[in-house]
Amino acid sequence: MRRLLSPIASRFVIIIPYAWLFVFFLVPFFIVLKISFSQTAISMPPYVPTFGSPGQWWNNIRQLGFDNYLWIAGDSLYVKAYLSSVVIAFISTVLALLIGYPVAYGMARAPATLRPTLLMLVILPFWTSFLIRVYAWIGILKPEGLLNQFLLAVGLIDEPLIILNTHAAIFIGIVYSYLPFMVLPVYSTLEKMDHSLIEAAQDLGCRPVSAFWKITFPLSLPGVVAGCFLVFIPAVGEFVIPDLLGGSQTLMIGKTLWSEFFNNRDWPVASAVAIILLLVLVIPIMIFQNAQTKAQEAGR
Amino acid sequence: MGSLGSIRRTFSPWTDPDAPAHIRFENITKNFGDFTAVNNLSLTIYEREFFALLGASGCGKSTLLRMLAGFEDPTAGRILLDGQDLAGIPPYRRPVNMMFQSYALFPHMTVAQNIAFGLRQDRMPKAEIEKRVGEMLRLVKLEGYEKRKPHQLSGGQRQRVALARSVAKRPKVLLLDEPLGALDKKLREETQFELMDLQQDLGLTFVVVTHDQEEAMTMADRIAVMNHGEICQVATPAEVYEAPASRFVADFIGNVNIFDGIVTDRDDTGIMMVADGGFEIQASNPGKTEKGHQASFAIRPEKIRISAEAPRSPDVNHISGEVWDIAYLGDMTVFHVRLDSGKIIRATTINDARTTEAALTWEDRAWISFSPDAGVVLTA
Repeated sequence: MRRLLSPIASRFVIIIPYAWLFVFFLVPFFIVLKISFSQTAISMPPYVPTFGSPGQWWNNIRQLGFDNYLWIAGDSLYVKAYLSSVVIAFISTVLALLIGYPVAYGMARAPATLRPTLLMLVILPFWTSFLIRVYAWIGILKPEGLLNQFLLAVGLIDEPLIILNTHAAIFIGIVYSYLPFMVLPVYSTLEKMDHSLIEAAQDLGCRPVSAFWKITFPLSLPGVVAGCFLVFIPAVGEFVIPDLLGGSQTLMIGKTLWSEFFNNRDWPVASAVAIILLLVLVIPIMIFQNAQTKAQEAGR
Repeated sequence: MGSLGSIRRTFSPWTDPDAPAHIRFENITKNFGDFTAVNNLSLTIYEREFFALLGASGCGKSTLLRMLAGFEDPTAGRILLDGQDLAGIPPYRRPVNMMFQSYALFPHMTVAQNIAFGLRQDRMPKAEIEKRVGEMLRLVKLEGYEKRKPHQLSGGQRQRVALARSVAKRPKVLLLDEPLGALDKKLREETQFELMDLQQDLGLTFVVVTHDQEEAMTMADRIAVMNHGEICQVATPAEVYEAPASRFVADFIGNVNIFDGIVTDRDDTGIMMVADGGFEIQASNPGKTEKGHQASFAIRPEKIRISAEAPRSPDVNHISGEVWDIAYLGDMTVFHVRLDSGKIIRATTINDARTTEAALTWEDRAWISFSPDAGVVLTA
């Protein structure tokens, strides 16, 4: 077989993404990791030790320690923030799945000529700034907002609902923002599914609803898993939505991280918070990749 | 067909006017928007028959099958199964199973789970399901494969799993949509005979859709040749081949030479016609011809004799031409003879003698001849 590229060139092609990941992911990660082992200091940058001349490196390394991690573990605020982030992200993911799956199913069953348009509509919100779209929800959800005005006018409620600055507002915000990430992977698995499988199931005596649960849903699981992780992972670390819609009493790790970093100027603790968050996320990511590999092995 | 009485069949309910119909299509029409897939079609299929719907793609054969399975509703007309109108009965309640062209095996289930799927829907006891699955695996010679997933099987094995799954419920009728289309030639030929044996063993009615005339000829008791949503002819393979009802059927099944001409004389025993180039053809079986009208004489290549000299007998049709092409195929040789009118005639000879010497070669003058009953007169 003729090779498309010479050995050197083909190796070079592989090096580019690795170099990219090394420079823009691994190096910053190690900088954050190092800061998380440092101590706060009133200086610029606000931590010690900084790496000076190579002669001092050994001395500096001895100053690093796990103090920040112990501090975080000792303060129940952080543990609560992590837990509540995971819970909020989990509930949001379930809600996104409950809304996103039927949407994706409807799109996949729509006439082939209509599908590109529907796909476009799902992607369309990305054309507007994320921040502006979240701000817009304040206008909708606040006590004198559009939603309450509408419900009052219709006569469904007598006094405005308090949605803004509650968990409900956070769920609405996260589900709204991340819904496309659920819809798109589920749609792509449903769309490529052979419709004759459903016909075969019905031919063998399966009612349509039962055929959905026995055939369609199991076969769409790779898309469901992908969608869930694409929603869950960013939702855990979400900062903008809880900050704008959740109000002051909401405890989410993204907000905690922000206030450590910018309000307390405690870079080492903020870095440690970020590293722990990464660990919390790495586990689901690994499960996700494992599931994907399995799905690929199953020839889907 | 009286003249074809020599072909004997032990199974021929269609010749018995009292035989009960198993499946009846009555004036079925199916439109998809402006497109008419099936046009006012009526057809009767008998119990235990191996019936083939044959036609080019888009002729409506698959639509007919899908209407029988319940995936499409006829626009007009009705379908009866054992006298019961199938209208309004959803596919999951019809005693009819289908083997899909793509096989449609459930990729997330093992071979055994695939075969058991239909039985589970019927809430058959577990022990019985296991027994039946074992039987089916034996039937399609896939013992030991029950734990495999479809993607771990070869094309031929998948085909057999699909077959086992579709007969596991012992349906009244098995529908097969291009069942052998995805197999390679050698495997296809083997499987044709396996399917016939299976149909005999199970005693089921098979309705198979195919575009492959050889497949239909090999397997089917009767063939319905379809074109543009209509049936051109329903007959046994031999009748379709030897007595095609129309030019389309003659042309669609096998090779054929067609002479177009004008009928110059006609009586009850035969006709005389003059084809292009003044070739006079005498034919028995006058058909529906009328004197002075257009008619065609269709003759199969193997029924034409080819010789270097003019035939002595005066009552055979004969004409001379030039040997244009020769294809030696081992068991037979195909000659293309170019008549003086420019028409190319295909004739085949069986190579029943072991010789490498050919009596005729390229550019030789040759005579082709055939008796009056060797071909069929067509008006459509």
